[in-house]
Amino acid sequence: MTVPALEADALGKRFGRRSWALRDCSFRLPAGRVCAVVGPNGAGKSTLLALAAGLLAPTEGTVRVLGAHPAAARSRVGFVDQDKPLYPQLTVAETLRMGADLNPGHWDADTARRVVAGGDLDPDRRIRALSGGQRTRVALALALGKRPELLLLDEPMADLDPLARHELMGLLMGEAAAHGTTVVMSSHVVAELEDSCDHLLLVGGGKIRLSGDIDDLLAAHTRVTAPAGADLAAHEVVESRTTGRQLSAVIRPSGPLPDDWRTTTPSLEDLVLSYLRNPAAPALTPAPETLEAAV
Amino acid sequence: MVDYRIDRRSGVATYVQIVQQTKQAIRLGLLVPGDKLPTAREVVEATAVNPNTVLKAYRELEREGLVEARRGLGTFVRRSLGAAPADSPLRAELEDWAARARESGLEREDVAALFTAVLETHYPEQAAHPAPAHTPQGDPS
Amino acid sequence: MTAALTTPAAPAARTAGVPRQWRWLVRLHRPALIGGGTLVLLTAAALVWLGGPLTDASAAAWKAYNACGFTPRCSYDQESILLYKDVYNWTTIAVLAVPFLVAAWAGGALVGRETESGTARLAWTQGVSPARWLASRLVAPAVLTVAVTGLLAALHHWAWAAGRDRIDTATSWHDMDTFHANGTIPMGLALAGLAAGALAGLLLRRAMAALAAAAATVGVLWAAVHTAVPYLWPSVTRVSGLAEGPLGRGLLVSEGVLTPGGRAEAPCVSSSMHSCRDTLADMGATAFYRDAHPASHYWPLQLVATGILLAVAGLLTYAAFRVLRRTTGTARG
Repeated sequence: MTVPALEADALGKRFGRRSWALRDCSFRLPAGRVCAVVGPNGAGKSTLLALAAGLLAPTEGTVRVLGAHPAAARSRVGFVDQDKPLYPQLTVAETLRMGADLNPGHWDADTARRVVAGGDLDPDRRIRALSGGQRTRVALALALGKRPELLLLDEPMADLDPLARHELMGLLMGEAAAHGTTVVMSSHVVAELEDSCDHLLLVGGGKIRLSGDIDDLLAAHTRVTAPAGADLAAHEVVESRTTGRQLSAVIRPSGPLPDDWRTTTPSLEDLVLSYLRNPAAPALTPAPETLEAAV
Repeated sequence: MVDYRIDRRSGVATYVQIVQQTKQAIRLGLLVPGDKLPTAREVVEATAVNPNTVLKAYRELEREGLVEARRGLGTFVRRSLGAAPADSPLRAELEDWAARARESGLEREDVAALFTAVLETHYPEQAAHPAPAHTPQGDPS
Repeated sequence: MTAALTTPAAPAARTAGVPRQWRWLVRLHRPALIGGGTLVLLTAAALVWLGGPLTDASAAAWKAYNACGFTPRCSYDQESILLYKDVYNWTTIAVLAVPFLVAAWAGGALVGRETESGTARLAWTQGVSPARWLASRLVAPAVLTVAVTGLLAALHHWAWAAGRDRIDTATSWHDMDTFHANGTIPMGLALAGLAAGALAGLLLRRAMAALAAAAATVGVLWAAVHTAVPYLWPSVTRVSGLAEGPLGRGLLVSEGVLTPGGRAEAPCVSSSMHSCRDTLADMGATAFYRDAHPASHYWPLQLVATGILLAVAGLLTYAAFRVLRRTTGTARG
């Protein structure tokens, strides 16, 4: 299992003449992870997923999926678009039958049926008559039914009520547990993904700001409270704020910290927000060699 | 069978919650030696937590000698914890005590504080959380 | 990491079967197929009716009319003559409309709607590569288009030929609408329209815009073919005396007078008129000439025009695959 599920090298995508949706992105996602792609709207999350799914060609750099060109990995990758496109004139049952026909040899009808069954969906209903959440369910059924090794989900939970969200997230985690499927899902709500994901890609302004296993990222950062005027220069500072006589900062310590500083581990949301509030903060994307050693 | 409930706002790491709830179930006799723990898939389908979190919790329980993983079969409880099964006389006494506390007008928080204070006196400095043995990356899997 | 508890799907176990797209293509476009099929059958039935009973009735009416001579009271079946004319005109329009309908459908429903709504992306991530997806959306419709335009044009030709020498007002072979509807040009136009629809759908990613662009492309191509047709095969020149005026029948290319200085525009058409004779004499005109295509040039003209349209269709198809490859970065297949 040394082939990474997803690997980008200086990846960039430009739309039109000058607007770069994504630029100079390098990261590596080991197989078997459940990865959250987090960032504000318009940060480049959808572009990144579409590049990985082989739906867009990169303007520069490369992306490799399960060790192959995205076009060659197509049959091993599942993708759910943000808008959950489906053929409105087909019924739910027909849509699943189409999935079976379009994925010969690797269609898991039981899984697909199970995803749909959870939603109390009439199989004879037409797609155009479904609610947003029900469409999401059918789209996920199509993506899971092809039994992918890598599942790319663009804002999968946006249309779902909390109950369905919990149930479908559980189902996804079950698939990941049972088949070792790598799952990549984007969201602009960090809290939604915190418990389900073990890997993070933070995208902001078309760049990768953070990438790595969530435990490692949290361990690499410290929230410190120190007297105002404390010298942070020795460390990488993500965010620092002075209120009265107190300095509060999120840093990546590069050595022991003075005893009179109070230190805590930031929460994931805390960490993500501190990076998003400070676009100039240095990115933390471990070089491939470091990751290789860690796997 | 254990039914894990993950409280996202407790501030306790998810895998620690699974460890604690498993121990609780063993302690209460809901799980006895030889019982099978739910598979990782069953747990994550019910809780929507990351599979690796469940595996981490199970490994922690295994490290403590409470459970053992049998290849291809699942994870089984190896030994019991404490001596307070759900129907023990100690429990009956505690029930009795709790009922009296309530009758005397104590609030839930008062009872909890009282209980914790007594607990601290008799079981001083017990580590609340098992310390993580290693980072998840270092784990052979 | 989860490998301990699980068996990851073995990539080698995947059989590389070919996705079964056809039945879904048919299913997705069932309403269009039913609607289009009905129109085609109605037109075909009308053409059979036209070439058979209507032609007979109209020919009989013309015979009666001609027998009347100058008799003031004489009856003939005018209804039949008018009905023939109407049905002929409408069926001709129907045959000529097929390329526009194909283009509009290809741009709007076949490709444009899928790129607009994102279902194309759905297909591309459901085991169908973009190139295969586009191929499926071009090959079967192209075969169907050839069959339909071929059938209708053949029936039109047959119905027209049935009335050729029997109905006095039957259109000549070189009447422009009849010229197009009787041959292979509608087939070429329809195939070019199909490819134009696919390209427009991929480029514009809007169903209505692609529909309009594809139909407009067919309009432009038709106008171009219409203008170019007389020059697609060497015409026959007939020279006639000044008293006769320009002679020669068929598809006219150009006409005028021959002078010592070469060809010139004819100021008038016969020297039997006084003023004309003088003008022609002033110019030094020696004869009239007319460049035209005889009926035997019908198929050469049709086939060259169709060939050019097929080349255009091929170019548009190539462009569509190129656009698809550039956007999706599909290296192969």
